Formats: sequence, structure tokens, C-alpha cells
Amino acid sequence: MSLASTASVKAPPSLLARLFARQELALLVCLILVIVFFSVTAENFFSMRNMTNVLGQASLALTAGIGCAIVFISGEVDISIGSLLATIALPLIIIMNDTNSLLLGVSGALLFGLIIGAVNGYLTAYAGINSLIVTLGTMFIMRGGVYLYTGQRAIPDDASLDSFIALSDGRLFNIIPYSAVIAIVLLAAFAYMMRHRPFGRQIYAVGGNPEVARLAGYDVRRVKFICFIISSLLATVAGIILAARVGSAQHTAGLNFEFQVVAATVLGGVSLAGGIGSLSGMALGVLILQFLSNGLRGLGLPTEWQLVITGMIIIAAVAFDEAKRRRAIGG
Amino acid sequence: MSVDFLHPGEGAAIDTNVPALELRGIDKRFPGVVALDNVDFTLEPGKIHALMGENGAGKSTLIKIMAGVYGKDAGTIRMCGREVDIKSPRDSLKEGIKVVFQEIALISEFTVAENIFLEGYPTGKGGSIDWKKIRADSAALFDRIGFNVDPAARTGSLPVSQQQMVEIARALAHEARVVVMDEPTSSLTPNEVSLLFTVIRRLAALGIAVVYVSHKLDEVFEIADMVTVLRDGRHISTKPIGEHTNDTLIHDMIGRRIDNLFPRKRGEPGSKVALFVEKLSTARKLNDVSFEARAGEVLGFFGLMGAGRTELAKAIVGYDPITSGMIVVDGSRLVPHDTRTGVKLGIGLLTEDRKSEGLMGELPVYQNASLASLGAFARMGFIDKAKEHRAVQDYVDRFRIKTPSLFQQVKNLSGGNQQKVLISRWLMRGLKVIVVDEPTRGIDVGAKSEIFALIDRLAGEGLAVVMMTSEMPELLGLSDRVAVMCEGRLTAIMSREEATQEKILNAAIG
Repeated sequence: MSLASTASVKAPPSLLARLFARQELALLVCLILVIVFFSVTAENFFSMRNMTNVLGQASLALTAGIGCAIVFISGEVDISIGSLLATIALPLIIIMNDTNSLLLGVSGALLFGLIIGAVNGYLTAYAGINSLIVTLGTMFIMRGGVYLYTGQRAIPDDASLDSFIALSDGRLFNIIPYSAVIAIVLLAAFAYMMRHRPFGRQIYAVGGNPEVARLAGYDVRRVKFICFIISSLLATVAGIILAARVGSAQHTAGLNFEFQVVAATVLGGVSLAGGIGSLSGMALGVLILQFLSNGLRGLGLPTEWQLVITGMIIIAAVAFDEAKRRRAIGG
Repeated sequence: MSVDFLHPGEGAAIDTNVPALELRGIDKRFPGVVALDNVDFTLEPGKIHALMGENGAGKSTLIKIMAGVYGKDAGTIRMCGREVDIKSPRDSLKEGIKVVFQEIALISEFTVAENIFLEGYPTGKGGSIDWKKIRADSAALFDRIGFNVDPAARTGSLPVSQQQMVEIARALAHEARVVVMDEPTSSLTPNEVSLLFTVIRRLAALGIAVVYVSHKLDEVFEIADMVTVLRDGRHISTKPIGEHTNDTLIHDMIGRRIDNLFPRKRGEPGSKVALFVEKLSTARKLNDVSFEARAGEVLGFFGLMGAGRTELAKAIVGYDPITSGMIVVDGSRLVPHDTRTGVKLGIGLLTEDRKSEGLMGELPVYQNASLASLGAFARMGFIDKAKEHRAVQDYVDRFRIKTPSLFQQVKNLSGGNQQKVLISRWLMRGLKVIVVDEPTRGIDVGAKSEIFALIDRLAGEGLAVVMMTSEMPELLGLSDRVAVMCEGRLTAIMSREEATQEKILNAAIG
């Protein structure tokens, strides 16, 4: 999103202008403004406890958002992740109840996630079906499947393994929730991949211009296929954390989750058109929305208003971005 | 057996006795067009081989087969005597065939250095990208070539000429056996061209086979060792350049068709000004363009790639926004500046990009033709189908559009017939001025003359025709007057009698 930064060829823009043209910096400023605003206006907002709580709450969207952003950057979309949260909880809880093994449960969940990602990826990349349609379809199929299988009742976690419960309320050094630690580690790893591994650059190239990528010898379909698998596996990790938090496999788990994640990703400057955006932008988008929702609740504003405000912010952010891009090209 | 331009001497020596690349009996058909018919093409290592022919002769198709963009329908390809199967660009790159395409094929969001190593990033320990090496090698590469491009710049922000340099540099960043350059000089300055020629000679000295595609005869005589000419998808000749003169080369390229290709039937244009454009500028390209076109006149616009022809076409019909200037169509100003007003006043664009800006491929012929004049067929808000079909049928007969029926999906028609459908769309609407952008792009040579005859007839019927073209014979054969553009400016307007190839090219270079 640094189009404005290099609009002029002859005279390089000043350092300040370049910094402000960076999407991530603008988002960081927004995040700080949100935090400062609510620290002043809302009671109990600016406390270590609340801050780390928000981080814990944000960890689901942060984790799944990595995959969402990667799929966006490759030029596709994946909205099946909400249903996937509910789906993979079934093998997770059932296997753990049967075997008392977190490792086996998690392995089962990841295998499920892998298969779903492969199906999404195959239908999009190889069968050539629009990814919005494919993942809309798998979203319904998975949700329907979960309802059918559970009879719309939760399957409780009877094994109650300590290691599993720690995923929900454990904290590193008694401060940072483990779920947030997982999200941050994954974020760092994938951000490194996107920037410094050839495969990460391939994703940007494929999303930026698939024809050019093909001419450069890239296997465009394979790249997209793998992006869908990454997305599903990361959503699986989010689903495992959610299952630990609610202590069961819930048939309604992750309802509308995909839209929260898409909203945060778009707010973070990741373009639906592909090739543009960063994981740090996505992460800032998630944090802004999470702090906003937490702060508004602290002010006593009902949830309905949070939805309205979130919607307006997303449209405003993207409109602002579009205006900036136009000016960069036009000027 | 391949050579690294950046690190010469590291690769193995090249066997100069075996052809670097040998294509035999290549056939390629597209729906409605035979693009290549039994074409042979042999490249010797260390030789610069010019590939020549008019637009539509099959050069691009042949290059795209070498690059793995298209598959061939028949024939064999051998690299250094070994038969290879090139199914994708990946296969072609692996064989060491590097193609610099005419259309810029770069990721505009990436930096220059990232684009140069797009094909394969050098990696350091643990398989991570070695950014330091990429930046250093990119700088070294530009240094060796002599181009002045900032490797850290975002590619999309660079002017076309610099992007073209990035393309050229990219082809040299990895080991290569064959380097193909498709019109590499179209937006370079003379100084940059001579730098490029030095690089090409150095490549040849390293044993790389170079294919040089160009329209420009003087360039070819300067750089090439061998020349192969294609015409209408067929191989015409392959000779050392020394056996050619300007005349023999042109003769091979054009054949004897030039005289009867443009049977001018219309009379001289009238004096009524149908289109008046004054001091037109756009944000990105056009700079202070003024001209007028009279009823019954074909005004031909020529320019090299990036000169702004398409931009001008889109601006004067109201499609693209303008920043200043005035457009008057048949006595009325084009205000507000949009296509709705344009069509109402009687100016329409026959786009160069039929697929994405002209046709609705899935829809039948009759719907494509009647699109701009549905109002004329409407009765109380419903379309009178019978009337619509009669009107379209009338045009199908008049223009001899070859289609099985009015209900055929337009994508199944040949390029020439699609173009006629689009012309019908505008004529049905009753235009005063028609702007045609590259009217024969992607059209069979046989069908071209029909399009020319049609344009001649449109002018004969009193329309002002503004024609954007990059093809010299088309320009000289059809135009009453020739206008030349360079970098968004109008550099010359001359009458048919004054216009010569040399004058036009000089004005186009600026």
C-alpha cells in the first residue's frame, strides 16, 4: 500500500511522507489513538489485565487472519473459516475423549483442516471455480454437517486434560495468554515467510499479476492451492483454542467469525484484488477492531452499536485507501 | 552449456556446431485464424537473428511457442540437438530460453530488484531470500548494461522506458542459451538503443543465440547476422543480412499485396468539421493536443508504443477523464465529459481491445450489434425484437458478416467478423465521428482488406474516421491526413501527399 510513496520518480518524497504513506504506520497511529481515547473515557480500560485480555480475545482472529490475508494476497478469498472452527472441534474433542491425548486430538483436527483446505484449494485452483463460491459452499456444507452430526447439541470435553485447559486460561509468566503467544509466534513466522522466503514472494507475484507470474515460471495453481491449505490449517489452530475456551465442541462455534476476520484484514490494508498488503497490517486491523469493541463495551454502548460503528470504519478505511491510491496514480 | 551474463566464464563452453534452438514444421491455429503454417526457425549459438514480418505475420505466436505460453499444434523443438517438450513458461525458462516481451510483464507492486529475480530468488542459508545479493546483483547488472535504473524503485512507478530496461535486465539475470527480444526498443531513446545493442553483441560473443524482433529496418541492418521473414503465418526466407537490401527485405515482408490492399473508392473529404479538439490534456498522458477531423475524412494517428494513441482515443469519446481542453462533436461541446454524452452527440470508439472493452462474447450477435441503440427499438419500455432483428440483419447483409445466424454467440466469430459487428453497433446508432483504435489487431490478413474497405466506405458515407494505428501500411494506405504523436504530444500533422515513412518516424521519435 505504499503506492503514494513512489509516485514521483524525479524527487524522492521526504522521509516523513514516506513513513506516513506506509499503511502499517497509519494503522499503528489509529490503534494508539483508539487506546488513548478509551483510556481516557472508559473505566478500567487501561490496565494490564484488560490489555492482555483483549490480546487473548484477539488471538483467534489474529491466527485465522494470517491465513485469510495470505489467501487475499494470492488473489482469492476464503470465507469457510468460521464453519471450519466448528467442524474441526468435533474430531478434536471426540478423539481426546476417546484417547485422553491432546496430541492425537490436535493431529486429528489438523488432518481435518488439511483435507478441507485441500478441497477448497483444489476446487479453486485446479477446477477453476470462483473461490468466493467454493468457500461459501464449503462454509454451508460444514455448518450443516456439524448440525447434523451433533443434533445441535454441544459435545463436552470429558477428558479435561490440563494441557488442553491451559490453552484457554494459561498465561505465559502469568501475564500473556498462551493463545496470544501462539498467535504472535505464528504471525512472526508467516510474516517472515511472506517477506523472506521465495514462496512468500511467489504468493505476492501470483496475486499481483498471475499472467506475469506464469511467464516467470511459477506454478500459479499450486501456489494458490497451498495458500488455501495454509488458511485452513491456521483456522484449525484458532478452532482448537476456541474449543479449549468453551470446553466443548459447539455447533454454533465460529458463526460469523469469517466476516470479523475479513473485516479486520481489509481494514489492515490487504487488498481483495491480490498482491497488496501485509500480515502486520492485518494484525493491526484485528487489534483496532478488538480494542474498539472492548472500549465501546467499557463505555456501556450496546453490541448493536459496535456492529454499526465497525461497518462504518471498514468502509471509511477502504475508501480512504482508494482515494490515496487514485491520487498517487493520477498525480 | 548455458551462459550467465552476470558471471561469464563460469558456465561451460558452448558447442557452436549444433543449433542452439531448432523449430521444425511448427503449426498453430486459433479459432478462425491459422497463425503459423509449417514454420521452420533455426538459431545458431552466438548469432543475432532478426525475426521480421508485418503485424499478424506470426512473429508473436512463434515467440510465444518458444516461451511456452502457447502449445504448438504440430512440429518439433530441439535445444542443442535434443528434442524438448515445452509445455509451459517454466519448461522454457528451464531450457534457458529468456523472452523479453513487448508488453511489459512485470509485477508493478514489486521493486525493480524483485522483478529482476522474479524467475528465481537467490537464497542464502536455510533457503531464505538473500536480499543483499539481489540488490547487489541488480545494481551490477544495470552497471554492466549501462542502464540507469534504481533497483529499489517500485516498478509500477517507473516510466515505460525504464520498465522496458527492467525487462531486458531480467532476461540476463539468469543463465541463458537463447534470448528473445520482442520490439525491445519501442520506447527507448537512441542512446539507450545503442547501449542495448552493445549488450546484445556481448551476449552473442558469449555464445548466446539472440532473436531480435523489430519493425525497424535500420536497427535490423545494424545488429542482425541473420534474418528470417514470416508472412501470413508462413516462413518466407532466411538469409544472412548481407544478402538483403532494404527493398528485398520489404518485398519479403509485404509481398506484392500493398497495391491492392487498399482500394480507395471514396472521394475527397468535405469541408465540414465533424470533430474539433483543442488543447486536450489528461492527468497521465496527453499534453495539449489540438486537431480537427472533417466529415468524410480518415485522419490517421501514428505513434510508437506509449505515445498516447489509445489514451487520446479514450479521452475524445468521453471514456477517460480529461484535465483541460475542449472537444466539440458536430458543433456541440462534449460536456459533461462521459460516453453517454459522447454517444448522444455522435462519437463512438471502436476499441483495440475487443474482448474486454468491446464485445460481450457470450451474448449473441444481434444483442452485441444493437447494444448502443436499444432506445430506437423500444416500445413503451419493451424491446421490439422483430424490429431489432431486422435492423441487425440489415447490417449483417450490408457488411457481409459471416455468422450462421443472428443468435450465434459473438465469441465464435472470427476477429474480422467481430470487428464488423462492433462497427454495426456504432453505425446503427448514427454516428458522426468514429474513433477506431488498431482496427485490424488480431485479424487475419485476408480479412484485413475487408476491414479497410469498410473504413473506406464509412468515410465515403460522410463519417469522420479517427484511426489510431501502429501499422505503417495501414496508416499510409487509408488516411487522408496523418497525425503523429510522441509521449502524449502531437508532433506533426501532414497531408497524404506529404507523408512519407521517414517523416512519420522522425515525428514519432520526437
